[in-house]
Amino acid sequence: MNQNFLKFVHAMVGEENATDDRAICASYSRDQHWHFVPARNPAYVVRPANKEEVKKVLMLANEEKIPVIPYSTGINVRGLTIPVHEGSILLDLSRMNRILEINPAMKTATVEPGVTFGMLLEKTKEYKLRPAFPDAPLTVSVLVNYYLRGIYQTAAADGHDHTLSYEMVLPNGEIIKTGSRSLSEMPYFRYGVGPDFTGVFCAHPGTCGVVTELTAKLYRLYDNKKVYFIGFDDVSASTKFIYNLMHDELAASIRLVDNQSWLKGICGTFDYRYEELPKFVLCMLVEGVDGIFEAKDKLVVEYIKESRGKVLEFPEEFKRTFEEESLGGAEKSCMVFGLRGNYHCIGFYGPLTLAARYYELHEATALEVGIPEDHVHFYLDPIYNFHGQLCYVELDIFYDGSDLEFGEKLRNYNEIQFQRLLDLGIYGWFRPYAGIIQPTVERIGYLAEVWKKFLKVLDPNEIMNRGKLF
Amino acid sequence: MKLEREEILSAIYHCVKCKLCSISSFHPTEEWLPLCPSGRFYGYQAFYAPGRLEIFREILEGELSEPTEGLLNAVYACTLCGACYEKCKQITSVEIRLPELFEELRGVLVNKGWFLDTHRKIAEKIKETRNAYGEKDKYKYEYEAKSLYGTDVLYYIGCTARYRVPEIADSMLQIFDKLGIKYQVMEDEWCCGSVLLRTGQVEDAKVLMEHNIEEIKRSGAKTVVFTCPGCLKTFEKDYPDMAVELVHSTQLLTRLGNMKVKRLGMEVAYHDPCHLGRDLGIYEEPRAVLKEVADVKAMKREREQAWCCGSGGGVKSAYGEFALWSAGERIKEAKGAGVEAIVSACPFCKRNLREAAENEGMKVYDVVELVNRSLEG
Ligand SMILES: Cc1cc2nc3c(=O)[nH]c(=O)nc-3n(C[C@H](O)[C@H](O)[C@H](O)COP(=O)(O)OP(=O)(O)OC[C@H]3O[C@@H](n4cnc5c(N)ncnc54)[C@H](O)[C@@H]3O)c2cc1C
Ligand code: SF4
Ligand code: SF4
Repeated sequence: MNQNFLKFVHAMVGEENATDDRAICASYSRDQHWHFVPARNPAYVVRPANKEEVKKVLMLANEEKIPVIPYSTGINVRGLTIPVHEGSILLDLSRMNRILEINPAMKTATVEPGVTFGMLLEKTKEYKLRPAFPDAPLTVSVLVNYYLRGIYQTAAADGHDHTLSYEMVLPNGEIIKTGSRSLSEMPYFRYGVGPDFTGVFCAHPGTCGVVTELTAKLYRLYDNKKVYFIGFDDVSASTKFIYNLMHDELAASIRLVDNQSWLKGICGTFDYRYEELPKFVLCMLVEGVDGIFEAKDKLVVEYIKESRGKVLEFPEEFKRTFEEESLGGAEKSCMVFGLRGNYHCIGFYGPLTLAARYYELHEATALEVGIPEDHVHFYLDPIYNFHGQLCYVELDIFYDGSDLEFGEKLRNYNEIQFQRLLDLGIYGWFRPYAGIIQPTVERIGYLAEVWKKFLKVLDPNEIMNRGKLF
Repeated sequence: MKLEREEILSAIYHCVKCKLCSISSFHPTEEWLPLCPSGRFYGYQAFYAPGRLEIFREILEGELSEPTEGLLNAVYACTLCGACYEKCKQITSVEIRLPELFEELRGVLVNKGWFLDTHRKIAEKIKETRNAYGEKDKYKYEYEAKSLYGTDVLYYIGCTARYRVPEIADSMLQIFDKLGIKYQVMEDEWCCGSVLLRTGQVEDAKVLMEHNIEEIKRSGAKTVVFTCPGCLKTFEKDYPDMAVELVHSTQLLTRLGNMKVKRLGMEVAYHDPCHLGRDLGIYEEPRAVLKEVADVKAMKREREQAWCCGSGGGVKSAYGEFALWSAGERIKEAKGAGVEAIVSACPFCKRNLREAAENEGMKVYDVVELVNRSLEG
């Protein structure tokens, strides 16, 4: 079968776009998460050019029951594109990189999987618009980031739902369109007919089908902007201030980080006296149209005074970098890899009221498993409209990726910390990836059964990248 | 292996697959500008730095045990331009010296007997003729007749300027003459070995190096001048210290200062050769010299993040279509800068860019050609 399979696929996508060459396959064998998801090669790499080709390949794979792993830019950091099964097809969608529409009047963009945040901003900025950026390298796929529910981002004001609708090819070759896209040529409304299918197919541990185009919200770029950096000695000292900013919807971007990790990327340099700063720094950007901007800024200044935080006088260049990275896509944030070589984090959603407790737990568990205190870091990103005091929280550990023993400590840390966080209370995990999802489904009751059945209906032969669950 | 296995694996483990090495710094221009020619041309992850590192890992771990076509292409269709490394180190500050690793990877492959026929044939040509193009007749320039054995300055011409882009050697020799600099060229100049070293054929390069070292010692020269950055890099980084000064033509010309040149009234763009810029850190001197004779306009990707012309690392000989495509991308960029000519400081770049510029209405020069033109004779 194998040789025939490749022959058929060659006929579908062209000979140069499909291979079973061992070396080419090996290049897709690992991501940054190898301490948790070990290397495994796909058996084939297929690079379709359009949805018709995707459909043909999927139908053939379905017929032959060959697992398929869609891959758009492959920067997922959670082992999500590393095959679970031998003999898998890696469906590299990077050739599908057209921006199908930018609609400034609707404030939307429709993109294919290979379109990155950098590519998209290049075009939207002509209309003084931008996408909602994750704090991920701007080389990642817009479509996937939103499809995976990348709802933490560099501008808190963007809220958490950037996807309006999309088109997805299922394993049987059927094409599903969600939201208003299912009814008309107008893909601009999330809720078309019946339930919110746009949401239902998103954020699985793995995929339901292959999304071939997606329409997302765009956000305004303002001329008036101002950046503040405020120092606090501990997490709890900052929470009242964050609450005020979020409650009154004053700041576009708000991030609380410790002074030794993300702050370096936010400022764009390793070379500064970070250790002399207060332990936590709140990085904030205010923006708006004339009149509103000034009014917001005035209130912000009052809240700063009230907060008793220390206003940090950083060089102009740091402010510019923070502004660029927040509203133009993150590049320097990857400097965190330069701290020790790799980073591990547990990312989840929870209320601001528990922020200080999350940090305490992080420190305690890390020390317990032998992770030194200076490896322990923190990142908090509140999200509009702040119902439930919604925050994205990241418990970070920066470490040397080539240190295999450290990998063992991290695995111990995870095992304990997942349970402790669930006990303390979180809203949900950032991504349902390997290791994190198993202890969680035990706690979600009958929903887990329904979830499994749902996936079974869509993908009875279980060929789609299943993540590491079910 | 020049690098220890552990050192290599540690570097590989430091790659976090962010792929920022595939584009130039975004914020200065807010434009999506690719940086890695091989990845951009071939598309599969194997042709980007992070994918190639995984292939290296599997080879070291014994997972890849056959020289498949994909393996050879992924390893050898890389210009070793180093653009990926410049970007990676800027962002991650992680010491993944990518081109060095990729060169090492080729060495590992060659030791297993896995090489490209084209590269093997070049080695054979060199063995036979002592030049990389297999030219049997020793081409002599008119101005070589003025070579004075024993003078302080020795001009190492290199195979490409000698046999494929003679106008560069011609110009350099005329510049010496016009400026009244006494010079010598080597009686019996052999290939510097760059092409062999870059394609992993390290052992074959040794005999060439020994010969050139002897010849240079014998010449009594104190300064060796190069118009070819590939040769200069090889002498700087791979040859033992010969207690002579090694300089690029543009460094020499900058040092000379006021050369009484007349301006040519041309608008040009400067293309940074990878070996000169990224490998040797020489960015200013060629620009300074060029500014003396022409109006220099910037291209979008410059200096550390210049787009490679596509011919290095043994690519021109083995992957002609890819090499020419890469040069074509550079010509497009120069056109976008609104210039009439693109000027480099490397015979290898000139050759490939010239080929791509045919029928494109773009002229291609080396810095020394324009300087020679503008010097009063
Ligand atoms: C330094 C760093 C910081 C980060 N910070 C953030 C952040 O702030 N916010 C954030 O949201 N993320 C962040 N991330 C994670 C990362 O940005 C996202 O996970 C990323 O968008 C997904 O990676 P990708 O786009 O390369 O997709 P891929 O790696 O190609 O795919 C990821 C998953 O989606 C599936 N998939 C791929 N294409 C399709 C398709 N067309 N249809 C269906 N399924 C598909 C794959 O099978 C896989 O399961 C960060 C990553 C890094 C390296
Ligand atoms: S920039 Fe560096 S760390 Fe990132 S993928 Fe490229 S080589 Fe790896
Ligand atoms: S050396 Fe050049 S061609 Fe090779 S991977 Fe790096 S950027 Fe790409």
